[in-house]
Amino acid sequence: MAHATSIQYEPVAEIGGGAYGTVYKARDTESGQFVALKSVRVQTDQNGLPVSTVREVALLRRLEQFDHPNVVRLMDVCATKRSDQETKVTLVFEHVDQDLKTYLERAPAPGLSPERIKDLMKQLLCGLAFLHTNRVMHRDLKPENILVTSQGQVKLADFGLARIYSCHMALTPVVVTLWYRPPEVLLQSSYATPVDIWSTGCIFAEMFRRKPLFCGDSEVDQLGKIFDVVGLPPEEEWPTDVTLSRKNFPPLLPRPITDVVPEINGQGAQLLQKMLTFDPLKRISALNALEHPYFQDEETLTQTKS
Amino acid sequence: SVQDGSSNNAKTLSSLQVDERRAPLKSWANACGPKECWQSVVDESRMALIKMEPERRWVCIWSSACVSPLMLSSPPFCGADGCMEESVFLYPHGLQGLHSLQALVPSLLRREVEMALEKLDLIFDHTYAWELFLDMMESQKHHTLSNADLPQHFTDATRAILVDWLIQVHEMMHFQDETLYLAIHLLNRSLRQVKVTTANLQLLGIVCLFIAAKKEECLLPEVSELCSLMDHTYTKHQLLRMERKVLSVLKFDLSYCPPLHFLLLFASIARCSDKVVWMGRYLLELSLFEGQCVVFLPSQLAGAALCLARQVLQEPPTPEGEAAWCLAFSIHIGSEMVLLSIMRILASAAAKAQTQDTCATFIKFSSPETMHVSRHPALNIATGVLDVWS
Ligand SMILES: Nc1ncnc2c1ncn2[C@@H]1O[C@H](COP(=O)(O)OP(=O)(O)OP(=O)(O)O)[C@@H](O)[C@H]1O
Ligand SMILES: [Mg+2]
Repeated sequence: MAHATSIQYEPVAEIGGGAYGTVYKARDTESGQFVALKSVRVQTDQNGLPVSTVREVALLRRLEQFDHPNVVRLMDVCATKRSDQETKVTLVFEHVDQDLKTYLERAPAPGLSPERIKDLMKQLLCGLAFLHTNRVMHRDLKPENILVTSQGQVKLADFGLARIYSCHMALTPVVVTLWYRPPEVLLQSSYATPVDIWSTGCIFAEMFRRKPLFCGDSEVDQLGKIFDVVGLPPEEEWPTDVTLSRKNFPPLLPRPITDVVPEINGQGAQLLQKMLTFDPLKRISALNALEHPYFQDEETLTQTKS
Repeated sequence: SVQDGSSNNAKTLSSLQVDERRAPLKSWANACGPKECWQSVVDESRMALIKMEPERRWVCIWSSACVSPLMLSSPPFCGADGCMEESVFLYPHGLQGLHSLQALVPSLLRREVEMALEKLDLIFDHTYAWELFLDMMESQKHHTLSNADLPQHFTDATRAILVDWLIQVHEMMHFQDETLYLAIHLLNRSLRQVKVTTANLQLLGIVCLFIAAKKEECLLPEVSELCSLMDHTYTKHQLLRMERKVLSVLKFDLSYCPPLHFLLLFASIARCSDKVVWMGRYLLELSLFEGQCVVFLPSQLAGAALCLARQVLQEPPTPEGEAAWCLAFSIHIGSEMVLLSIMRILASAAAKAQTQDTCATFIKFSSPETMHVSRHPALNIATGVLDVWS
């Protein structure tokens, strides 16, 4: 099989390396299309591929059937042996020319127009709502994992992989960015789909600011930067299952979100606030966010269904 | 999950019976090792805050604007004409006042479907029940094969022997029924895509069952156990290599809507008696042996099995029973011709089941727990019952 894969997909270039392995651009020799190959090394024992890997990848393939416009296509999956203890699972995605990071960097001088931002946000939330209703969370949402096609269509990448990685992989020592992490993850409390909404909020702000919202260099520093803006949460909202005490942080009051994102309009500021809510249970859901008045006015041209 | 306690007992008992009557498997007894040596699957919940259920092959979907319109494209119930057209066939006892019922059908049916799915424990959230049903109806279309052709060096008879053996292993492992249907589905697909020699056919079969178990079961057998089940004809390395091969060739597409779920759903809406349900389950399992059945939709196989079961048993009709039946089969699953041709296949399979070498299913369903359905005398002339209609 290793052989067959390497024949079908001819590597063209290395796209980049994340925490979990390298992404290659390759050409599918059967169709001529470009693809992105992402390999995951999975620890295997004498009973073969771990159950969690089998189920998670099967779920990603199941999602494929819906052909959602805001989710990157997973065209093929391949399992090859590396050693008795390790199997390589290669995920073959459609190749998309740029990610949101480059897209933002390349936007000419005053940045993206408010309409463009609204459209991107709508597509992003649509993709997220789709994943969340299918009980898949991203957990690592950031501009690098949001792809934008040359037609401006948003496609989420790398969702559902976090669990495949975390169970059976020795992480390569790469610094994983903390900037889009929600408080519950930074505090190592339990978490669920609201994590992605926090990250989306950070990205929403970044689209206006053209620089990241909270740039911490450690967990505590990141939390400090967050409380700087959203204020120190009340005692009763502080999760009980965490070691870090609320007393480690100065008693700050929330600042108006427009202090840090001055370009945003009223409705947008309100939505952003609901996304950057400390308590994950009170944070707005993807589906409700799509219903928010921010998206209601007509001027937006949407590409959620291309 | 779908099974009740008695069917678990049924399995234990009937596997004992198998033991007495035949010695089909090499190292049959060895393989029934103590449960402690099984690997247990730690099913950590994907999302801590969300109520989790074991993963099902239908994940929930929602009906807002974001979802692909695909799944809503085919209305699950036919129009008034369609229902009348089929009524001759499906409701041989006739049903007065059917027309006035027509208008009520959609909302009534929806409620019944929701209730049945909940009763069968097939959903984790009542609010998504209807969407789930629509999703079942739609996604099953991905689960048929375009033709019944096998690669040249395999015959339907070889395939049937393999299926028979897998049914015995499945039973011995006390796996769930979903696992069996998934395993045979994976086998049907990989038989066409993986290049295997006849000598490696058994290996392919056990790997399909192993993968299905990884998808569905909480307790898994050790690979070494599987190897000893095959008298060490293959090594563990060979088995694991085949696992990678099958998963790669199938691109990890392991979702499947087992026909059994449709059968239980229809039977629940139709208020079928236990005996009809067992008979239906028996006939449905017989379809696994029939290579020609791979082209039909799971819901069609289920509908046909249930119709035939009812036809064979000829229980005295009641007005409530007839109405419930009519409602269940207002779900449009296929043309009369398709259903009839499946019923013919199943009827002739049932008529000769007892005399076949491949009789694992016959034996399984001859136990008292399954109400001895496979031994029902009317099955011997089941094909005759159908001739009335042609
Ligand atoms: N389908 C794709 N088409 C084109 N580029 C892609 C695709 N998927 C990922 N990339 C790009 O490859 C680069 C590296 O991806 P990778 O996922 O390894 O790292 P990352 O996104 O920085 O971190 P992480 O591992 O946490 O996701 C990213 O810049 C990403 O935009
Ligand atoms: Mg990535």
